[in-house]
Amino acid sequence: MNNSSKLKRVLEGGGFAVTAECGPPKGANSDVVLKKAEMLRNKVDAVNVTDNQTAIVRMSSIAACSLLKTAGLDPVLQMVVRDRNRIALQSDILGASALGIRNVLCLSGDHHIFGNQPQAMGVFDLDSIQFVQVVKMMRDEGKILGGDDLSQPPDLFIGAAANPFADPFDFRVIRLAKKIRAGADFIQTQCIYNLYRFERWMGMARDMGLTDKAYILGGVTPLKSPGMAKYMKTKVSGMDIPDELIKRMEGVPKDKQREEGINICVETIQRLREVPGIKGVHIMAIEWEEVVGEIAERAGLLPRPVFG
Amino acid sequence: MITGEQKPIDEIREMIAPYKRILVLGCASCVAECAAGGEKETAMLASTLRIAAKMKGEDVLIEEKTLDRQCVRDFVILLDDIIEKYDAVLSLGCGAGVQAVAEMFTEVPIIPAINTEFLGETRDQGYWLESCLGCGDCMLHHFGGICPVARCSKQLFNGPCGGAMDGRCEINPDVECAWHLIVDRLTKFGALDRLENIYPPKDWSKKQGGGPRKIVREDQQK
Amino acid sequence: MTGEQKRTLALYYCQNVPASGERERQDLEEKYGGNIRLFPVPCSGRLEPIHLLLALEEFADVVYIITCPEGTCRYSEGNKRAKKRVEMTRTIIASIGLEVERIGMIIGSKENPISLADHARAAMERTLRLPPSPVHN
Ligand code: SF4
Ligand code: SF4
Repeated sequence: MNNSSKLKRVLEGGGFAVTAECGPPKGANSDVVLKKAEMLRNKVDAVNVTDNQTAIVRMSSIAACSLLKTAGLDPVLQMVVRDRNRIALQSDILGASALGIRNVLCLSGDHHIFGNQPQAMGVFDLDSIQFVQVVKMMRDEGKILGGDDLSQPPDLFIGAAANPFADPFDFRVIRLAKKIRAGADFIQTQCIYNLYRFERWMGMARDMGLTDKAYILGGVTPLKSPGMAKYMKTKVSGMDIPDELIKRMEGVPKDKQREEGINICVETIQRLREVPGIKGVHIMAIEWEEVVGEIAERAGLLPRPVFG
Repeated sequence: MITGEQKPIDEIREMIAPYKRILVLGCASCVAECAAGGEKETAMLASTLRIAAKMKGEDVLIEEKTLDRQCVRDFVILLDDIIEKYDAVLSLGCGAGVQAVAEMFTEVPIIPAINTEFLGETRDQGYWLESCLGCGDCMLHHFGGICPVARCSKQLFNGPCGGAMDGRCEINPDVECAWHLIVDRLTKFGALDRLENIYPPKDWSKKQGGGPRKIVREDQQK
Repeated sequence: MTGEQKRTLALYYCQNVPASGERERQDLEEKYGGNIRLFPVPCSGRLEPIHLLLALEEFADVVYIITCPEGTCRYSEGNKRAKKRVEMTRTIIASIGLEVERIGMIIGSKENPISLADHARAAMERTLRLPPSPVHN
């Protein structure tokens, strides 16, 4: 088994990459992770494992990534700065690399006030951009913060997130530039429903030459129901869902809504493939991983490349 | 100023329950400005406790006094003449005031009546807002005079995060996004390009370097 | 007045209330034989919760505040402010188990002005509906 990042190889080889998301269980059961691994095997190039997403305690993303790795998948370790200070973050980066994890996505994380531990002390010692910079320094210079040398640098493909739909709009692309300058090799975006706004943002990114400096993967999430769409629109900060989409979901009978959600998702991917500078898609089917294969298939993204 | 809010009366009554002669001790500085522990609030709390005691037929002495500053020994020492009368002090000073009294009068139990909260400003009558965390290394000049440490929910130095919408913080639409304010303000100054720089990790040792921080100034000493 | 029935009412009133001069005040205190204690205030907005609390603590079964008619406050916001302070003081006494009705407020009406004597009677009537204060018994 080749021990490098498959995601990196697909992107560097000029391919259109496909990643998916896998949420670890709220328990110690490895079988849940392995089941999700089977659903995603050969359907995507790499699998992001969320890090206590929405600040709900779940199996650690490092552990779940390691399980995926052992099962032969290419995991993307999501790490938030909410729960760990710089000592723990740097230490986990080393540990992850030692376990054979080859991709990391550096995030701020959802605020803990939203989760099931609102009484927790938020850490936020580094912010996500500083964290990207630290991982890059560890990998490329073999040093940690403060300048101490590492006996062996970690081997990681570094990612960051971008949300083209948050405010202030004009500043969004400046922030993307900062993440790339900090050292992000690839970018995964927030779920895209408003393609018009997304394309404007991509235009700005292209004008700044950012699409040549990092691989940008557009995020998509299939809607399950108009209720979910409305919830995301009003309750999830930084989400932009146009009313036409909600109407479209409402316009089909209840038993066809999931299918319609998949249709929208497939169409979005097809349009994203036309956007200059987009290098792949990130399919976040929240607790609905079984649908990822179908979406990839219908969007013409299968079969995935195989490396020796 | 340091702000705080009075604890619920039941909690206070429970804490003072073992004592019979209580001095309710206010402070006329910060906690007076935020209407939590000044002369007025001290009188109100003392009166309320006396009413409650009378209702229950409890035989207790509850008196009140307000010092100009409870966190300065020169003022705390003024209690020297009267402290013996009491078997407990219920303080409406901030945490620093409570401890200053405790340090000087080691024989008397001292009980906090307010929850000390933050360093902030009086935004309007009856509205106080946290604005500084006392990080020990002020960087307000970089951020247009708006503190990302105290006012961004995630303490970002390279914000805003992906949850900022319409100038509101993702944690609550009632909360202004500090980073939106920073971007707006620097835009006004024509200094937005400053934010293109990556702000490096903060040196938190200036905030919590080990043990309580102290300032020693020989020029100020006797 | 029998011991059973005796109540003490503390009445704070805005000096804008009709027929509330010093004469009328003395007459009223005499009439109620000390069961009403009257306190003129230049503006009800000047009343602080501590005044109400101290009255309840020291002698009163019930405290009433009579403000000037809404919209006629000389200090424009005084009676509004008084209302907020009454609310706050009620919260305080409720927190120690005292009935909130022990603090009352009457806002004068511009169309239908009422004399201090009539206000006093109304407030005393309501006072008598409450049992004696547990603070003094
Ligand atoms: S930068 Fe530090 S010292 Fe300055 S306002 Fe913020 S927390 Fe206070
Ligand atoms: S929305 Fe603004 S204030 Fe809130 S965490 Fe994000 S950047 Fe900070």
